[in-house]
Amino acid sequence: MIQIEPEAWQVMVSHAKSTYPNECCGAMIGTVDGDVKTVKIGLAIENAFTGVQHERYELRPEDLMKADKEARARGMDLIGIFHSHPDCDAYFSETDLKNSCPWYSFVVLSIYKGEFHHANSFLPNAEQTEAPKEELKY
Amino acid sequence: MAKILIPTPLRQYVDKKDSVDVTGATVGEALNALITAHPDLKKNLYNDEGKLRSFVNIYLNDEDIRYMKKESTPLADSDTISIVPSIAGGL
Repeated sequence: MIQIEPEAWQVMVSHAKSTYPNECCGAMIGTVDGDVKTVKIGLAIENAFTGVQHERYELRPEDLMKADKEARARGMDLIGIFHSHPDCDAYFSETDLKNSCPWYSFVVLSIYKGEFHHANSFLPNAEQTEAPKEELKY
Repeated sequence: MAKILIPTPLRQYVDKKDSVDVTGATVGEALNALITAHPDLKKNLYNDEGKLRSFVNIYLNDEDIRYMKKESTPLADSDTISIVPSIAGGL
């Protein structure tokens, strides 16, 4: 289960709304206690995809390294990645799956007409063949 | 000894440590030392053909080894290796 604290959630939703109609992306930093992940910091990261960003996002590995360093400096962990689906439901698409990594929770925020609609979290496998839903609280 | 920083989800395979000290003349040797000492880590980093998984990037300090000498990149004791995933997606 992954739960997102209000301050982190606000950063994530604001980032998704401010980048609309493009996709946004970012990192989630927090703590892990057994099966419960708690996101305490939402980190907005620039979408590095060089084409049309309405349908794609890409995270620079360098930016992920920075997020990991920030987490370590705060005594926390990098536990997930978030991105938005503009005018589309929060599902884990084929493109998401093929470009995923099995180590993190992937939260997808659905933004319709510039407003937050709903969100889901997914846990892709190492073979990038499936990504079951994970319980998400926000 | 060089240091390999371990991403949070992989720490379960290295006795919950956030970094592992390794010896090796190259980045490849250091990675081999890591998976030899912690075999459960191997399937997370390498595919069945023994190649680094497509989403795994290896950085030596702040440089992607892909733009250096890949796994043959020389390693010094003061170096830090980072395991960084490639992540992208879309509709």
